[in-house]
Amino acid sequence: MKRLSIRHILAALGVLLLSLVPLVIDTPYILGIFVTTFYIGCCTLAWSILGGLTGQISLGHAGFMGLGSYISAILLNNLGMSPWISMIISFVVVGLIAAILLSPCFVLSGAYFTLVTIAFTEAFRNLFINWEYAGGGQGILIPLKKSGIVTMRWVSKVPYYYISLIMVILFFAILVWIDRSKLGYALKTIREDEDTAHAVGINSFKYKFIATFISAGMIAVVGVFYANYIGYINPDLFKNSNSLNYLMPAIIGGIGSVAGPLLGAGILTPLSEWLNSALSAISGLNLVVYAAIVIAVILFRPNGIMGWFNRSNLKKAINKKLDAIDEKLFKRGKEA
Amino acid sequence: MSAGVLLQAIINGIMIGGIYALVGMSLNMIFGVMKIVNFCQGELLMVSMYVTYMLYSYCGLDPFIAIPLVAVIMFIIGAVIQVSLITRSIKDDGDQNVLFLTCCLGIFLSNLALLLFKSDYRTVNSMFADQIVQVAGMNISVPKLVGFLILCVTTALIFLMLKKTKLGKQIRATSQNPVGAQVTGIKIKAVYACTYGIGAAIAGIAGACLMSYYYVFPAVGNTYGTRSFIVVTMGGLGSTIGACLGGIALGVMETVGSSVVGSAFKDTLVFLAFILVLVVKENLNIRKKRG
Repeated sequence: MKRLSIRHILAALGVLLLSLVPLVIDTPYILGIFVTTFYIGCCTLAWSILGGLTGQISLGHAGFMGLGSYISAILLNNLGMSPWISMIISFVVVGLIAAILLSPCFVLSGAYFTLVTIAFTEAFRNLFINWEYAGGGQGILIPLKKSGIVTMRWVSKVPYYYISLIMVILFFAILVWIDRSKLGYALKTIREDEDTAHAVGINSFKYKFIATFISAGMIAVVGVFYANYIGYINPDLFKNSNSLNYLMPAIIGGIGSVAGPLLGAGILTPLSEWLNSALSAISGLNLVVYAAIVIAVILFRPNGIMGWFNRSNLKKAINKKLDAIDEKLFKRGKEA
Repeated sequence: MSAGVLLQAIINGIMIGGIYALVGMSLNMIFGVMKIVNFCQGELLMVSMYVTYMLYSYCGLDPFIAIPLVAVIMFIIGAVIQVSLITRSIKDDGDQNVLFLTCCLGIFLSNLALLLFKSDYRTVNSMFADQIVQVAGMNISVPKLVGFLILCVTTALIFLMLKKTKLGKQIRATSQNPVGAQVTGIKIKAVYACTYGIGAAIAGIAGACLMSYYYVFPAVGNTYGTRSFIVVTMGGLGSTIGACLGGIALGVMETVGSSVVGSAFKDTLVFLAFILVLVVKENLNIRKKRG
């Protein structure tokens, strides 16, 4: 077992602090921003497995999330199935759908892969707009019949806060674990140079399949959460702009790093919510400012915040400090 | 389906395809020649439609007469975008950043339009609006027909420009080998700015033609942006004539397809066909490479 270090303690403190938030803040609006930040963070983390680790830029993750939401809503409304079960079903079904549909496209490189993911999402959107069973263009309303843990429906936002918090921690842990596992190294090799990956015996098709399965499955789980949190879904979920929403935090935070996407979501989502409310008088202004900020980051910090931080002296200084504290704590533990 | 309906569908498709071909050609300059993944092509079209609209409502210019002016304005806008944003974000390691940048630029432009013009649908009264000519019992709308003729002229001009003029030769040289072009004394930054500008100008021509019979709203670029990529992919990257034929093929596929599967599912059909074309093409390429 690994030694407990100051970094673990700090992380645990952070989580503890976050879990205490609903006790201090009881404004639904602020809590709502937290929940949105968490679930957007989950989406970005899920996207990162395919986009960040594997280097396959997908703009179709809105589609996979939408599929998850629809599966959950239909199962709950028509069969009364608990969202917790449909989370598992969505993970497997959407993951498989995505991996099987995209598997012929793994040979495509760069922008062409991105285009295919857009095409699939638009095709899905078109199907769902015209599919009467799934509510057509109007979408599906999930009425609040019985609140409680089984139906995942509450009036208060506090339970959603904890579910999304747990989800984001879980997703982060999964990403860290994948990043350090054999799978992660294979994916990163494919990202850097696919020919080299082949040369050292990595079956790129197999690993891309796995990465797509996990990535799409995870975002489908977020979709299930979203459907039950908002209580209403429609084909707009499949819109391209949603995919961009899940991708932008990763750009800002730094694609390829593990903490980057989460950091990006933590910065961008509150910012966009704030812009939304502050500039709501003039429609469009909030997104103009938002897009301008992201463009500025892409221009001046092309590797994102984490990419810049990883190379800066600040990180070295912080690491040095933390190591010193670690050593102190460790020594004290030895003497006692 | 009777032969008459089919023929009418094909003619309509060719007419619609004219606009797709123009947008596709504009993307072709940027994506095909310069290898810049331009995800804001639809938004450039949207901007040019608004420019046409403003020229009409403030100066009273008919969309078709305004075409040269719109093209010049769009050329300047395109060159400015290239010089100020895109050159800076091009890095040696892949095209990711350009992709993200143009995506964000698309959001920026469409919301700027929302900010300036609200989300209303706006139209102009072109001189040919609602006029229809009948050829052998087939109805052809005049604005679409004129748009189609403009497409033919534009294609010929671009083809000649790329083959015969000095700028065209420089563009092709830069496209094939930027370093080599630089060594021979071509100012590739200026060439890039010109190429993006020409791409935007063609989008401007397309926008002005489209404006004569269609309405403009901030999200109008969405449909055309994705379709322009389909056109370029189908026609072959970097080929002007290919983009022209690809656009017409897409238009015909759409109208004929929608009379077969119903207009509701025509988008699904288009996208699935695109995926199929792309995947089959790439697999053939790989097989060719392996011998």
